[in-house]
Amino acid sequence: MSGAQSGPTLTRQVFEYTPGTRPELDHDDPLHGELLKLNMGPQHPATHGVLRLGVTLDGERIVDVDPDVGFLHRGKEKSCESLGWHKFFPHTDRLDYVQPLMNNIGYALALEKLGGIEVPPRAKVVRVLLMELSRIMAHLIYIGTLGIDLGAVTIFFYSFRQREELYKVVDAYTGHRMNNTYVRIGGVYADVDEKVAAMIEKFLADFPAALDEIDAMLTRNRIWYDRNRGIGVISKEDAVAMSLTGPTLRGSGVNWDLRRAQPYSGYEEYDFDVPVGSVGDCYDRYLVRMTEMREAAKIAKQALDKLKTVKGDVLIEDRRYVLPPKDLVHSSMEELIFQFKVVTDMRLPRGEAYHGIESSKGELGFLVASDGTSKPLRCHIRAPGLMNIQALPMLAKGRLFSDMVSLIGSMDFVMGEVDR
Amino acid sequence: MVIVQRKELTLAERLYLPEIFRGLSITFRKFFEKPITRQYPEEPLPTDEVTRGQPRLVVKDDGNIACVSCGMCEIACPAYAITIDGGETDRQIEREPKRFEIDMLRCILCGFCEEACPKDAIFMSNELELADYTRRGLIYDMEKLKRPKSALQPRIDYVYKINKRWRRTQA
Repeated sequence: MSGAQSGPTLTRQVFEYTPGTRPELDHDDPLHGELLKLNMGPQHPATHGVLRLGVTLDGERIVDVDPDVGFLHRGKEKSCESLGWHKFFPHTDRLDYVQPLMNNIGYALALEKLGGIEVPPRAKVVRVLLMELSRIMAHLIYIGTLGIDLGAVTIFFYSFRQREELYKVVDAYTGHRMNNTYVRIGGVYADVDEKVAAMIEKFLADFPAALDEIDAMLTRNRIWYDRNRGIGVISKEDAVAMSLTGPTLRGSGVNWDLRRAQPYSGYEEYDFDVPVGSVGDCYDRYLVRMTEMREAAKIAKQALDKLKTVKGDVLIEDRRYVLPPKDLVHSSMEELIFQFKVVTDMRLPRGEAYHGIESSKGELGFLVASDGTSKPLRCHIRAPGLMNIQALPMLAKGRLFSDMVSLIGSMDFVMGEVDR
Repeated sequence: MVIVQRKELTLAERLYLPEIFRGLSITFRKFFEKPITRQYPEEPLPTDEVTRGQPRLVVKDDGNIACVSCGMCEIACPAYAITIDGGETDRQIEREPKRFEIDMLRCILCGFCEEACPKDAIFMSNELELADYTRRGLIYDMEKLKRPKSALQPRIDYVYKINKRWRRTQA
């Protein structure tokens, strides 16, 4: 990313620009040859956060795009190193803030791999349930924001209405609507009780009809179709080469889903389909995400049924990592010592571990390295959104400026995660 | 693996006008549905014992706070919102906080202090609203944080309940 976008940079782009690369260029256009540098963002409503795009325009055609990330950099990785293992959980909420529980689980899985901790079966089921609800939440935001960017404001309200129902569920379960912090090393903080299970059941019963409504409004809508079809085509090879993951990769026809390829949290026990696109344009990515929401609802239903049969604890009983029960802390000296030990000096063994999960945006991975102390030696976050932004320049070249909005929307990144 | 179906638009769909009426039929149906909006300040958000609001200090029935200023919540706080200065007291517990401040502007309501407290002295209340004219006014001292135990009892019971369910008690 070049820093200062002044005169010399622009001249270089003029020379690099070969006429064959732009399709259907109108040579009678009086503006032909004179390039315009336009800054899209960081406060542009369509950039979904603080992303600055330095767009070079030839009339309406995009010559080059220079994504400038880092406006929301809060030093999350460094925070992890200074805060310690457990205290980083609230920070993971704030990475991709539309799916906080998914990030919690991704981080917890990496720590559990590092510590060699086996999660109780019921906790695994609860986690799958939470992850799939988070996926629906995140995809609903995608549909809503892409809708509002492309002029379909109705969709924004319809999808946010469904998301509101989900937030009510999460609120009843965790006590917060966002930034839940309800996952712990070795399980989840509290069990999904009957009241919450009934709420989820009700949501899952109503959700397909609501999704059908959104489907009816969008999928065969001519404006939606024309503004998404054939735009931003990524070939299979390009998608793999740019290390795209998630719906963006699957939209290009690559059958790669970490839930299938490297199952975690017992995903191999669930019956679901992985939707894959055929062309690789914005429309395919939209269809993939719509289908994924239906599949996520299917998995969540299976997880709810599993909760009725899989009984037991939702958190391991291991005094090295988990706080002892509160009533015992009052009566037993040993438990009080464990309480102090876990809060002040919870250690994970020496080593390094990476765990990637299939988040709504793609592979969300946490690489944690430990030197055996209570603070991580290194914590790296593999944000899928960063890779998705990389693809923007390639996709936008030669397209109309208005297509940029569809492209940004269909790449579906959250800057909290990209800049971290 | 399932390949998503994409079909070209039919003539009727391309004509645009029939589609407009189909879309409007969906949106007009919404006129007759029950509104889902809430008139917020007049109708406050429902809260229960699960709600993790702002942390509050428990005042026991004898009028003293349960805190012994061990500093566990201060250590457990990921946002560095809690400040405690401990001191001696004539009471049997020997130590009590001389200064206990929570910077509500820093607090992220994660509930780690509640989990870490070994004396049941700090719990998440269901108080959520937070506004003031100055920053200093939002740094809550002990007087602002004190709540009688009866007010926090539902939350205390809930935390004990999930603790019970959550871990097998050892002999």
